[in-house]
Amino acid sequence: MWEAGACGGRLHAEEAAVSVFTLVRAHRGASAVLAALVFSAALLVSAVPRAMQAAYDDALHRSMAEASVSQTDLLVTVPSNAMHLARQEDFTERSARWQRLLPAELAAVADRGPASRAHAGAKTYDTPVGGRVGPGYRNHQYVNVAWLSGADRRVRYVEGTPPGPPGTLTVPGRPEFREIPRVDLALTREAARKLDTPVGTVLLLGNSDTIAARITGLFEPVDPADGFWLHNSDVLNVVAERIPGGDGDETHATGLTHAGSLSVLKGYERDLSYFWVLPVRQSAVTARNARSLIGAVADYKGVIAGDRTDADSPAGRTGVTPPYTARTGLDTVLSDHLRRQSSAEALLLLILGGLAGVALGVIALAVQLLTGRARPALGLMRARGGSLRQVVAAGVWPVVLVAAPSALLGFAAAALVPGAATPVVYAGPPAIVAAAAGFAAVRIAVEHRRPLRDGRTDVVARRPSPRRVTLEVIVVVLALAGAYLLRARGLTTGVSEQGTDPYLMLVPVALTVACALVTLRLYPYPLRLIARLATRGRGAVPFLGLTLTARAGVQSALPVLILLPALTVSVFAAVVSGGLDATQRDAAWQRAGADARVESAVEIPQAAIERVRKVPGVRAVVPASRGRVQIGGGGRYGTALAVDLAAYRSALAGTPLAVPGPPADVPAPQVPALVSPDLAGNERLQIGWQTRITLVPRGTVVALPALGRELRDTVVVPLDANERAGSRTVVNMLIVQGAGLDAERLRAALALPSPPTVTTFDAELAEITAIPLVGAIRTTLLVVTAALGCYALAAVSVALVIGGAERGTALSYLRTLGLSERQARAVTVLEVAPVIVLPSLAGLLLGLSLPALLGPGIDLSVYTGEVAVGGYPLDLVTPTLLAAGLTVVAVLGAFTHAAVTRRRSLGSVLRVGD
Amino acid sequence: MDTPTLSELEAQAVRERPVFGEGAHILCDNLVRIFKTEGVEVVALQGLDLLIEKGELIAMVGASGSGKSTLLNVLSGLDVPTAGVARVAGVDLLSMTAKDRLRYRRETVGFIWQQTARNLIPYLTARENVSLPMRLAGNRAPRSRADELLELLEVSYCADRRPGEMSGGEQQRVAIAVALANSPEVVLADEPTGELDSESSEEVFAALRKANRELGVTAVIVTHDELVSERVDRTIGIRDGRTSSETLRRTSEDGGTVAREYAVLDRVGRLQLPRDFMSSLNMERRVRLELEHDHIGVWPEGSNDEPSEDGR
Repeated sequence: MWEAGACGGRLHAEEAAVSVFTLVRAHRGASAVLAALVFSAALLVSAVPRAMQAAYDDALHRSMAEASVSQTDLLVTVPSNAMHLARQEDFTERSARWQRLLPAELAAVADRGPASRAHAGAKTYDTPVGGRVGPGYRNHQYVNVAWLSGADRRVRYVEGTPPGPPGTLTVPGRPEFREIPRVDLALTREAARKLDTPVGTVLLLGNSDTIAARITGLFEPVDPADGFWLHNSDVLNVVAERIPGGDGDETHATGLTHAGSLSVLKGYERDLSYFWVLPVRQSAVTARNARSLIGAVADYKGVIAGDRTDADSPAGRTGVTPPYTARTGLDTVLSDHLRRQSSAEALLLLILGGLAGVALGVIALAVQLLTGRARPALGLMRARGGSLRQVVAAGVWPVVLVAAPSALLGFAAAALVPGAATPVVYAGPPAIVAAAAGFAAVRIAVEHRRPLRDGRTDVVARRPSPRRVTLEVIVVVLALAGAYLLRARGLTTGVSEQGTDPYLMLVPVALTVACALVTLRLYPYPLRLIARLATRGRGAVPFLGLTLTARAGVQSALPVLILLPALTVSVFAAVVSGGLDATQRDAAWQRAGADARVESAVEIPQAAIERVRKVPGVRAVVPASRGRVQIGGGGRYGTALAVDLAAYRSALAGTPLAVPGPPADVPAPQVPALVSPDLAGNERLQIGWQTRITLVPRGTVVALPALGRELRDTVVVPLDANERAGSRTVVNMLIVQGAGLDAERLRAALALPSPPTVTTFDAELAEITAIPLVGAIRTTLLVVTAALGCYALAAVSVALVIGGAERGTALSYLRTLGLSERQARAVTVLEVAPVIVLPSLAGLLLGLSLPALLGPGIDLSVYTGEVAVGGYPLDLVTPTLLAAGLTVVAVLGAFTHAAVTRRRSLGSVLRVGD
Repeated sequence: MDTPTLSELEAQAVRERPVFGEGAHILCDNLVRIFKTEGVEVVALQGLDLLIEKGELIAMVGASGSGKSTLLNVLSGLDVPTAGVARVAGVDLLSMTAKDRLRYRRETVGFIWQQTARNLIPYLTARENVSLPMRLAGNRAPRSRADELLELLEVSYCADRRPGEMSGGEQQRVAIAVALANSPEVVLADEPTGELDSESSEEVFAALRKANRELGVTAVIVTHDELVSERVDRTIGIRDGRTSSETLRRTSEDGGTVAREYAVLDRVGRLQLPRDFMSSLNMERRVRLELEHDHIGVWPEGSNDEPSEDGR
């Protein structure tokens, strides 16, 4: 920073501050503009990342909440055949060890509180009930024995007593079961009922090395919603499974036992495993630490697998390393989320980058305004013996004085936006201040490098230096090459797998800059042509206005450099938003397959169909039958859909969906069919559905709503296909056309014994649009578009004000020659309009073509139910309205400016300066 | 009284004609300044010669575009001449580094422009404006010095006023105070009274002369104002980028002012004839010169008459 203050190396800071304040006060208008712009930029730069971060966190928490804690917690397991842990302390000791081994990242999110669901346990797996002491033996029962640390606090005994320490038991009349170990078990009431094991029952567990299990009590969980039970749902719930290849059910239950039983339970006899649950606080996992957590989980798995502490412990079998395994679904959940997030990040970063660039550009304009206003004073200081350093400092301090508090204010205001602060949030506002100060410093230094007060730059336009032209050509060539490479490479590289590609970020920026440079270089040429035509005309106004623009120097470059990216980014945002919207709707249509679709596991009777027809809103119902069929004689299976395609087609009227026409008929009992491309080429096709049907392929079907976009092993036949082949038609699917369809109502109207799946377009769309982050993307796009519009307007206004005095003087001279006020206004508008209209047009074109250029690079399929956002329908309406609106408003601004300046009296304007 | 011998006269002549410009406070010798803008060259100074002694108060007159302001810019260290010699108070203006130039502007010269508004920073008070050059130069106690200067120029009552609250004459007098702030050796003024009424002009000129007399500052005033140009000891006329004439004034024995105009002869013998002389005798392209014993006769080309004795 500039030490010693604005004026004078040995000056007291106090005095320096006074003159800095004086300078700010003297140019309070320009200072206010700068302050407002810096404030808004700082606000955006700190608020939008916060909001994004909040959206990411929110989305992550939703993803985490969808996965249960049993999925996101860490679980360390070891099969007991590797070691035998007989005492509770063995578990406690290892619990502590696993906690200790946690990498810092995981330790930070581990839940160690007193109410934590951290626990250890031992459980047998699929332990068969081999018999009972006494009558009542049932076949196909499995009762696992579990010991869970902390379970006694979480259950309440509703009958009997808690399990006690183990003992021995001799089964009367069974000499082989003399003095066998006995453990006590407690079951839930439901398990006891389903197993028919009231308190006091003694079960014989295991087909070999049998142990006795005495049911001593029945319990219920104190809090069934406790995350603890999500890890041990087998203890609370009885599972009935159909016996493979047989009739009847197998019943699986798990009972709680006493810690002392651990000494009795041994791995080699029982399928026993030990486990430790290390809970993760879901709320502590954020979008920021997600990535490091994935790595930490991988590390932890390695650490646990490599743990050799127990190799020589008395518990372990000497010399054998127990195969401890750490398991969790946390990394999968996080990876899935990050994949979604990285797509959003890529897009938002791109757009925010554009916004930041435009904001900086406008700030540069405001700085130009301020330094321009201070120019005479600074020039005087320079002439009166100010060194360049002093003059630069005198010019930069006011900028800092204005920008710094505004940036701080913007930052503070952004704190109101919920969301965690990322480094950008902190770095952004100072960076803006630094950029403003830097720009001011460079500008003042260049302007006052030589102390001559009056340059005569107005006489001749400066010719472009060859160096600058070369640089511009390089930028343009690089941008084009980059875009080409991106397209070529982007097609094969998924953003989702590799994260955000910095190269991808650079190409749009380079393209925008290149486009701006080309526009800047080329726009005077068509203008000169028009101006030349205008000279032939009779009116002086077009001639004057256009000539002024065509001869405009570098000072008109900044507005072009701002307007163009502003338009580009906002049009791009609008197009992406529109594409996202359209694709989401498309995906919803594809999923629903119609306004609504009913699929039932059981047959839908005719009466039910009639009831559906009477549901309010329903206009048409097309019955269909869908089934899994055997294709040919072998083991190939596929899907068959029997439906009246003509009726289906008419039911899709008014939707973007389409189905092929019905196949040409063939004589019964053969059935005409449309087949998926892989089945095409057969003259006849046998399928096994309700009966064997002979199909005559009459065409191919590539895609069908509700079935898929790339069909395989699929046949579409008329509804009566099964009837023709001698069976009957079993309707299990309804395609419903209508408006305002409600799944519940349709389900109620059907009144089927097994509730059908009802898919409505509205519900699907709601589900897709509810995908986390979609809202954030949409909001950000909207905010950015609005902000860019404002910035473009600000850029035009500031540029007008900067040139205002000069233009005013020129117009005043012209007015002494007889130019009317009206003509003066027209001249101003004509002068300014091309500078606004041409970059706007270029921005519009670039914005429209960016999605096509970047299309493969930005993968938004995660927000559209995995349907790739492709093609970006060229919806010209929104972007064009945007560009046109902006242009009109900007030109109106110019008009207003012209109208305001006209109020100044001729004499006063002409006396300013010379 | 002895009549000097020829050799004495010769010696005296040699003594009184030192090396060109030696001892002069401001010296310009064959000064050239060319402005180039894309193919167009404007020669603003075309070999200008100028000698000003220390403590002189001179006026510089000339038509618009004659090169006065360019010369002043060169002398004030704001512009660098293309060729020639320019030296002010012993400082060579052509070979200065940027640092020297800064020190030169801080310590050696002070200047005043025509537009009253452009001399002062509008949002600073008179005192602050006067202190500014001192602060820029890093001088201590600028306040008391500023007050002294304002006092000297009789505008101390304006010390706390901003330029907008002062009359044009007051502004220019404050501007003189600003120019004098760092006790420069030379003060350059570009039409300081150009925008003022005669009464204010009078005050401003009086202030300049006071500064010249009391502080011993060499003052160069570019002016169109006869009020100024007729009241200095020497007026230098500039035409087409060269010094063309000088008017010297001295007080005659009866108290009146006697002014005599001279044409300037440069070191190689070039001389500009006044334009009205040339046009009245239809002198174009060539003239005929005739050396007489005490003067040179100049005749238009084609005058066949024998020159008369007195050259007329």
